[in-house]
Amino acid sequence: MTPPRAEELQSAISLTDTDRPLVDQSRDIEVDVVVVGAGPNGLITALYLAAAGLQVAVAEKRYEIGGGLATEEVLFPGYYANTHATYHYMVDFMPVLSDFELSRHGLRFYKPSLQAAGDIGGEKVRLYRALDDTRDFLARNSIAEADSFATMAMGFRRIVGEIIGPATYLPPLPPLDTVEKMGTTSTGQALLDVSEMSAVEVVSEAALSDPVTATLLYMSCQWGISPQESGMGFMVPLLIDRGLQKAFCYGGSHRMASAISRELLLRGGMVLDNSEVVSILVDGSESRASGVVMADGRTVHARHAVVSSLDPRTTFMNLLGEGNLDRNFAEAVGEWKYDKWSLFTAFFVLERSGTGDGHVRESASGAGAAGGRGGTHGGPGTEARAAGRMNRTAGTQVGQEEPFLEVIGFDSTDDVIAVLEAVEGGDLPKLAGHLTMESELDTVLAPRDGRVVGFFQMPAPYDFPWEEKAGEVTDQAVSLLSSHVPGFRERLVRIKLETPRDIERRLASMVRGSIKHGDYNPLQMGYMRPNIDCSDTRTPVAGLYLCGASVYPGGMIIGGPGYLAARAISSDLGVTFPFSVPGPMQRYVDTYLNGVVEW
Amino acid sequence: MTSTITSDLAVTAIAPDRSSQREQRGAVADAGDRDSKGLGRRSTFDFVIVGGGPNGLGIAAYLSKWGFSVCILEARPEIGGGAENAEPMPGFSIDPHATYLYGAAAPAFEQLELGHYGFKMAYTKNLSGGISPDGKAFATGFYNPESQVPQTYERELGGPMAEIFVQMQQNIRPRARDLLRAVYYTAPYDERWGVPREELPGVKVLKETSPIFDPAFTLDSSVADLADMIGLPDPFKAVMLFGAWYNGPHPFWKGMSIPGMACNLLYTYSSGSPVGGMHALAHSLARAALAHGTRIYVNAPVTEIIVRDGRATGVRVDDNSVLEEKTINARLAVISGLHVKQTFLDLVGPAHLAPDFLDRVRGISLKGGSLFVAHLITTELPQYKGAEEAFAGDRYPSCTVINASTEALMEEMRDVYSFNTHPTDPDHYIVPICQHDTYDATRSPTGYYTLSPIYMQVPVPEEHRDGPDAVNDAKEEIVDNIVTLLRRYAPNMTPDKIVASFVNTPRDSEYRNMAFVGGNWYGAREGAEEWESRRPLPELARYRTPIDGLYLCNHTSHPGGLCLIAVPYNLMHILIEDFEPVASTTPGWWYPSPWHITDAEGGSLR
Repeated sequence: MTPPRAEELQSAISLTDTDRPLVDQSRDIEVDVVVVGAGPNGLITALYLAAAGLQVAVAEKRYEIGGGLATEEVLFPGYYANTHATYHYMVDFMPVLSDFELSRHGLRFYKPSLQAAGDIGGEKVRLYRALDDTRDFLARNSIAEADSFATMAMGFRRIVGEIIGPATYLPPLPPLDTVEKMGTTSTGQALLDVSEMSAVEVVSEAALSDPVTATLLYMSCQWGISPQESGMGFMVPLLIDRGLQKAFCYGGSHRMASAISRELLLRGGMVLDNSEVVSILVDGSESRASGVVMADGRTVHARHAVVSSLDPRTTFMNLLGEGNLDRNFAEAVGEWKYDKWSLFTAFFVLERSGTGDGHVRESASGAGAAGGRGGTHGGPGTEARAAGRMNRTAGTQVGQEEPFLEVIGFDSTDDVIAVLEAVEGGDLPKLAGHLTMESELDTVLAPRDGRVVGFFQMPAPYDFPWEEKAGEVTDQAVSLLSSHVPGFRERLVRIKLETPRDIERRLASMVRGSIKHGDYNPLQMGYMRPNIDCSDTRTPVAGLYLCGASVYPGGMIIGGPGYLAARAISSDLGVTFPFSVPGPMQRYVDTYLNGVVEW
Repeated sequence: MTSTITSDLAVTAIAPDRSSQREQRGAVADAGDRDSKGLGRRSTFDFVIVGGGPNGLGIAAYLSKWGFSVCILEARPEIGGGAENAEPMPGFSIDPHATYLYGAAAPAFEQLELGHYGFKMAYTKNLSGGISPDGKAFATGFYNPESQVPQTYERELGGPMAEIFVQMQQNIRPRARDLLRAVYYTAPYDERWGVPREELPGVKVLKETSPIFDPAFTLDSSVADLADMIGLPDPFKAVMLFGAWYNGPHPFWKGMSIPGMACNLLYTYSSGSPVGGMHALAHSLARAALAHGTRIYVNAPVTEIIVRDGRATGVRVDDNSVLEEKTINARLAVISGLHVKQTFLDLVGPAHLAPDFLDRVRGISLKGGSLFVAHLITTELPQYKGAEEAFAGDRYPSCTVINASTEALMEEMRDVYSFNTHPTDPDHYIVPICQHDTYDATRSPTGYYTLSPIYMQVPVPEEHRDGPDAVNDAKEEIVDNIVTLLRRYAPNMTPDKIVASFVNTPRDSEYRNMAFVGGNWYGAREGAEEWESRRPLPELARYRTPIDGLYLCNHTSHPGGLCLIAVPYNLMHILIEDFEPVASTTPGWWYPSPWHITDAEGGSLR
């Protein structure tokens, strides 16, 4: 006798109305707009449309909303970690934060002073939020290098502040217009100059020392940019300038999703969790998207628009069906490429070291001998319950600050290139990536017993025998971390690995572990993301819009697609978008967009 | 694709009832401190609620729907309290505390329109089953038509017994909601009113369902006495007793037969879980509250309930919280969703309370309710030996109690309560294996199963004879014993089928969720001395406290835990009595318990 399988049991029952003991959400509903997916972009689209007076429902497959804004108890029981987004690059630009004053919902960000550190072949690199601090650090070795870095960084800041930052929340320029319009300003010309280059070429231009170059290259490429691919250089100013201005969301990244959803609910929006959308309805007579069907059979009818935050393949092939598509368009969708690599993460809990002031990274202690690896059952400690929250005022002294992100495991710039290219080729040659002691920045994640929660993360291939190599990879992770965190082995309470397959399993929208829903390469960026028909969030199917990371300007919790989709829908429906654009965006419109793109 | 629409298109049939909100908000609240968007920065609210568990969320939803300004302060990173799910392994949703809906009879589902806020049930035909050590198995559920047929039970119970059992079910079924509302959804009467025990709502309704429930017998008996009176054999009896114990009332405690029976009925009446698990209930409550203007702050532990001249005026929030205002003022009242001991001993403090009262609070028993919770991720569902027929096809139960014998139950209780230790002999284990995948497809990825929770009672950590860390130190051993026992009943559960296991002990639970003092999910023993008008203390039974403007709304008040949304509903009656402006503007959606007695009415009974 074979064991029973849930899907064959059919133990679930549907009750008639008279039998049902309570009134629940079991019927079809009708709204103005239904959004598929309650990740950051889905929520942002819904919020703006609700603010514009539309009745909006957001359908989410998971039991929690937030998508990549996930702060979860992966180190159960007791310890939380941001399972996806940890670093928020665009908080200085995102209109949603200011338009809705989300701080009223307890949403707060802060930018650690030591934004990035590197341990490259034993050489320490420290990159601060304040450019002057970084310059001072680099001047220890060479004043010329320090000045060269400052010049580069100031240039990047101008490019981001005047162009890339505002452009993130404005529709994409067609390629030819980009060249023409950017050529009219010096900052635009500077951006054009780096655009055709590769990341390696851009970071190497400033002639910095190799460890600094390696750190900057890793920061530029870690989320999925091939270091030697031409035509991706325009991303480097963004990833370095914003990479040194990134913020941590107090209480974890999920708080951002909570704040947006709270504002959405206050404005009459509906949030439906545990509601997997399995198809998008098309009204036959008008060929117009008219609603969505959930896995349990419920239908949400949409009077005006269906908005999908999922990638184009999932949206068009799986949910809409190829039969509803023009053949050329279907072909374009079929060419969609998922991320070139995903991420591997080791989350861990450590005892605070006995020295009393946390781990001091400056001393490179050797690997400990005892293999005290935690199992899955290690629970919160009973000692030092009051010792948490001790670090909020620490880290003000140079040399003692907690790095927000520390690049470890690489020997040189060439090594960064070699490792990333190997990963892109499907291999995992060694463990090298970045380390963050999250609870040192946000004590909420390890609330009351003074232990430390952190993670090591690195680019990693999806197609890799993860299950077979789990033990080996864990050993490598412990060994790498032991050489960077004093007493790591002895202090280790628990360690938890998450592979690209785990990412996909947790968040089905990240197909093949694609944290950005699709690759960053020149053919899938800007006006071409996800293709020329859809990059302004409108699609060839009437009433159907895209709002996720697969649409211009892309992923990484920048909130651009969600904002742009809401603007496009309001405009198409003739409802007033109730917010004006901030000053920097207006200047970008006046300088580059007017007369080229209507929006 | 462009269509011009008018601004009033947002009005639809599914729009929630907000008319009352618009009329009444500001009746008491000061509209002046709201900004143009209706949600300004502010440090004063009509009601300040400490704790965002199901009770705090429930009362917030009620009060804000009524039109009051409400703020919830939650210490944890997540709202929901015991109504919680976690995903320690991607794709697998475990239930660290509450499992199954028990509160389907709650008026809140209608009154708060939880369906509009996303609440959706997954019902199961076969709620639970049990297997005894001698290989007898049964599976049944309130909504399973087979459970209404005596032949289903004849094999285990014998002909006459099966008839009686089915008759009992049929008698209760049409009155189930009334009975549950009488027992749980009515504020306890003040003992001093002297209402005779036979006249208590639950007793009256139960008697009406069947003459078998003679108050003269039921009021002084235990669940075990009742099972023996009916003549139920194991494993039926064991599962019924077990059901009482795990849901609060000790099956051998005298005077607890009605709540002991009723808690089993709560479970069968609801017959399932929210889709995705109990956290979905918390989400719908929170969303109802938020939509009506409640502000919810997480990571905001309250460190003090501020009392001035004998009146609660607000709370102090931990300096590390996200709030800019560390003092939050309450215009009308502070409502505590924390444990009664924390409320008075930690947050109010001895400066404002009489020493005898404090001593009584200290003396509230924590016995019972400290759970060791295991969660197994597997590649197969357990295939229970000897139950092939009873569990065949769609009769496979969503929860299987293994080792279901009264003897094992008594041994486990003796270990826990008499010897103050956790059971070490697997023969003393009687554990439920919850298999929510059998009726809810959202819990695990295809091809995998989440056996969660698997509960076992253990002593309160502080009372464990080997010290408070004893259970934590024995985690691996207890899980091994559970797996060994499971394999004895389901031989296919070999180690290669178990992908991962997770555990939360009472200490872990208390660490994660501070209101679970001693890891106890219902806070105070559900014995006759701490039930109904004596829960948690006679002077606190009507949710009022010795401090003016301070009310209790938590699991230590009647009727305890289980995420029933009962305490908030009952408390509403009291708040209506105490705040005249509310009573005079009772909105159309509110209906009180038909058995409610106001203090004015009660006083005249004396």
